Amino acid sequence: MSPVFVIAAKDLKQRFRDRSAIVLGFVAPLGIAALMSFAFRGADRFHITVGVVDRDHGPLATAFASFMQNPALHGVVTVRTVPDEATARRLVRNGSLSSAIVVPPGFSAAASGEGATGTGATGLAVLTSVNSELGGEVSRALAGSFVNQVDADRLSVATAIAAGAPASRAAELSAAAAKLRVPENVVNEPIGSRPLKAVNYYAPAMAIFFVLFAIGFTARSFFSEERDGMIDRIAAAPVRPTTVLFGKALSVFAYGVASLATVLLFTSWFFGAHWGNPIGATLLCVAMVVAVVVLTALVIALARTERQAEGIAAIIVFGLALLGGNFVTISAAPAIMRRLALLTPNGWALRGFVDLTTGARGAGVIVQPLVAIAAFTLVVGVIAALLARRWAVR
Amino acid sequence: MTVLAIAGARARRIVRDRFALFFLLVLPVLVIVIVGAIASNPGTFRVGIVDLDHSALSASLAHDLADAHALDVRTYPSVAAGKTALRRSEIATLVQIPAGTDAALRAGRPVDIVAYGEHTNSDQQAAVAAVTSVIGAHGARVQAAAFSAAASGRSFATQLALADRLVSGASTVTVSSQSVDSASKVLPKGFDYSAPTMLVLFVFINSLAGGAAMIWTRQLGMYDRMVAAPVTPAQIVFGETAVYLMIALTQSLLIVLVGATVFGVHWGDPLAATTLVFTWALVGTGAGMLAGTLFKTPEQSTSIAPTIGILLGMLGGCMWPLEIVGPTMRTFGHLAPHAWAVDAWTSLLARNGTLADIRGDLLVLAGFAAALLVVATRRLRHVLAP
Repeated sequence: MSPVFVIAAKDLKQRFRDRSAIVLGFVAPLGIAALMSFAFRGADRFHITVGVVDRDHGPLATAFASFMQNPALHGVVTVRTVPDEATARRLVRNGSLSSAIVVPPGFSAAASGEGATGTGATGLAVLTSVNSELGGEVSRALAGSFVNQVDADRLSVATAIAAGAPASRAAELSAAAAKLRVPENVVNEPIGSRPLKAVNYYAPAMAIFFVLFAIGFTARSFFSEERDGMIDRIAAAPVRPTTVLFGKALSVFAYGVASLATVLLFTSWFFGAHWGNPIGATLLCVAMVVAVVVLTALVIALARTERQAEGIAAIIVFGLALLGGNFVTISAAPAIMRRLALLTPNGWALRGFVDLTTGARGAGVIVQPLVAIAAFTLVVGVIAALLARRWAVR
Repeated sequence: MTVLAIAGARARRIVRDRFALFFLLVLPVLVIVIVGAIASNPGTFRVGIVDLDHSALSASLAHDLADAHALDVRTYPSVAAGKTALRRSEIATLVQIPAGTDAALRAGRPVDIVAYGEHTNSDQQAAVAAVTSVIGAHGARVQAAAFSAAASGRSFATQLALADRLVSGASTVTVSSQSVDSASKVLPKGFDYSAPTMLVLFVFINSLAGGAAMIWTRQLGMYDRMVAAPVTPAQIVFGETAVYLMIALTQSLLIVLVGATVFGVHWGDPLAATTLVFTWALVGTGAGMLAGTLFKTPEQSTSIAPTIGILLGMLGGCMWPLEIVGPTMRTFGHLAPHAWAVDAWTSLLARNGTLADIRGDLLVLAGFAAALLVVATRRLRHVLAP
């Protein structure tokens, strides 16, 4: 067997014997993926239950009830009729309802111009809870959408009279305005993508985060072997120094690819994760692990002691994970953070996985992250080589 | 005195270790900044706009959308860029204002404004509902301007300006909003969210990872040498406990100070907050000492400890509020001490709670701390036994 494979096999055997590699590479990312999957099962989709209290019993209140039962809203809203406002308040307070909309007495008459106009008393009242902010916003939006047409007609008449039409023509103008429809229609169109589920983001995010730990334990093992004279003994044998380096690199590569592949396969089989084109996903794993190998070389070149190697590696691991979006869904972050994430190989890998899992098409989906990760790897590799040469000369 | 000497020696080693200081002091603050920035405004929908018309009316519509308090608006140069952002969940819906919008509306023709979003994705449909309301209100003014222009024979532009002026005072049907409660079950937004949750997370993780130092001490044979000296195992146990507690308290104090002075975090009732910080430091101390006696190598401690810490943090609501997960996960989450600590901070920060309000949480945390400390000291005594 080639000495490269012998050294790689020895490193892997040593690492797995310690069990920490098994925990980091397999148990931890799978455990976290399982936790994410269970935690957000049925809870990662927005849906609210809204109460409607009809204290008006007029035609406009009936129209509002029909509007709320619109089939297009079924995915977002379940409507529950509530007999009175006090009950609605209680149900919102105890969380049974996300919010409630009260149609006040005299609403229909007032809105059609028969009663008092323009006061809060004739408007729809939305009862909200501090514990359901988005629920309150959606209810306000739905109530607003309903009253927009009523408002448009009233505003049309008011504007015409303000522009000089005689007030005596108000009834005639109202009748004409009532035939109008708000000219800006919203048309909902799909783009044909799959939703980005929590498990689809955090499974690769956590797998990459834990694979980054290989930088630390490999660099540390290099220095502990150097301390124990192992490196000198290998150097005394008919083995070139590059063989030792390739052997260690191969062990990191094999460990990293095995870890990432296991997480992707398990989450696909057991948690319904979808990774798109398997070749694309495989290439992303390989590119990311090569970046980890080169980062390991950089840490070995930078450090002088086992403790230094551990510290530098930890700073690199947590720095990359924080910037790259392994701890937080980077899509929800401000633009500056999304741009900073693209300075890291893990940020690019995550973008690639997000694109694959959401159904993006075209070669660019994979080529762009691969090129970016390769560029990072090249730059870090050159720096590591220069540092290593300087060290060797010294 | 011996106890203090042991604790002092350990403390000096930590202070001299720049990498340990990075994890104790720098990393938690960095995470607070990042998580705080992301959690700063969760009560709004992120909406993208692509204006293909570049006209006065399209600009006023975009302005109305940007002004809506329920929406966090971003503009995109092309539909493709906007769709990509939507697919990546950077936005919840993309509004496309088509070319020719201005001309069509001025001519009295209706316009279809596309709101992209999957019908099966409720998040996106909720955002579409919010957008529809704003666009409807804008359309109401346009309708009024076109109607008045036709009735009065004046220009559309002057009537639109008139409608804009009248809209605030006109006899419109209002939508009023009223909150029925003030007792929030979740932490406030931004740094008020990230600072207490990251305090809970990092004090625990760093305490656990600190177990590595105990393993090194053991491997170097320092315990054996200490026992050979006129030092009792009890003194060593107290010394170790003191140093772990000091580390946890120092880190907590730093996070509280940075949170209050740099990020304006209001930590609530001082007495209750101090008691909570101290109790949580005791939990961390127990966990760290237990890790130091359980793991065999420093590698195991430094690699497995963050894993356990992150898992318990997730389970206990440090990464997301337990209010947003299902009831089973919420109950399961309270197996982790983190959940009780986050509950207590929520009471202090979100509901202006006092010591009396969090006494239940404190009792549970004290139970966790006592159990961990008892097991850890027993194991350490076993290690120290000749």
